[in-house]
Amino acid sequence: MSFAPLDPVLHNQLRLAVMSLLVAVEEGDFNFLLEKTGATRGNLSVQITKLKEADYITVKKSFKDNYPNTLCAISPKGLKAFEQYVTAIKEYLKS
Amino acid sequence: MEQTLTAEQSLKLIDDMMRQAKRSFHRMSFYFLLWGVLLIGAMLTEYFMDRAGHPFHGKSWGVVGIIGGIVSSMHGARQGKKEGASTAMDRVMMWLWAAFVITMLVTIIGYGVSGGGTPAGSIMVLTGLPTFVSGQLMRFKPLIFGGILFWVLGALSYFVDPQMITWLYVGAMLFGYVIPGYMLKRQEDVLRAA
Repeated sequence: MSFAPLDPVLHNQLRLAVMSLLVAVEEGDFNFLLEKTGATRGNLSVQITKLKEADYITVKKSFKDNYPNTLCAISPKGLKAFEQYVTAIKEYLKS
Repeated sequence: MEQTLTAEQSLKLIDDMMRQAKRSFHRMSFYFLLWGVLLIGAMLTEYFMDRAGHPFHGKSWGVVGIIGGIVSSMHGARQGKKEGASTAMDRVMMWLWAAFVITMLVTIIGYGVSGGGTPAGSIMVLTGLPTFVSGQLMRFKPLIFGGILFWVLGALSYFVDPQMITWLYVGAMLFGYVIPGYMLKRQEDVLRAA
């Protein structure tokens, strides 16, 4: 029996955590993701960039109370990739 | 967080993060407590001033409608700034209650201006709608029962003595709004602390 290869963009602990959070909420800002994942600012920033480059999330930069605010939301492509990833993981577990 | 994930770890991580995200909801209890107390206050003020021979002719409704509208808007705006995430349900709830506040303002101020008697029956029936829908969306039974209570007592108020409407209204606000609002506040506190 052959298995679908796991998406390398999603098969990373922090990127998967960010995607899981964004699947559950409509949109979340950088501080929300930082608090929930417990990651460092630098690492989170790098992983957000990678998810954005893969077109899995959209990133909007704005200002909130005079401070820069990064707002992230999952894209349709990201949602599809996430669903495929979860299906593939479940297939692995069934085997 | 850079390490190889097993299939089990991946699923556990997804589950953990989704549970975390569910704790990021907007607090709704504030609105139930605020409007419950304000609307009971307006009704009792009208009732007792009328009995004392100094009728307010519905002015209390207009005053609490404006106070409630302003305080709700300010609280909503402040909470929106504080929260780092918003869910689709937050958006549905926000527009449901915003539409309700506008409907209530028009109704209450309209009654106050026209001197068309007590708006208590209309307020009860109108309040049943967002209360019931919020209870269903949040799967919070006290609010579902609260919404039904508003509809039942609101319908009843069209058939009873005007004096009796006051107490039906106070009962509906207390058991359909303030008590479920307080129970919701306790649940929100527990979920936030978890």
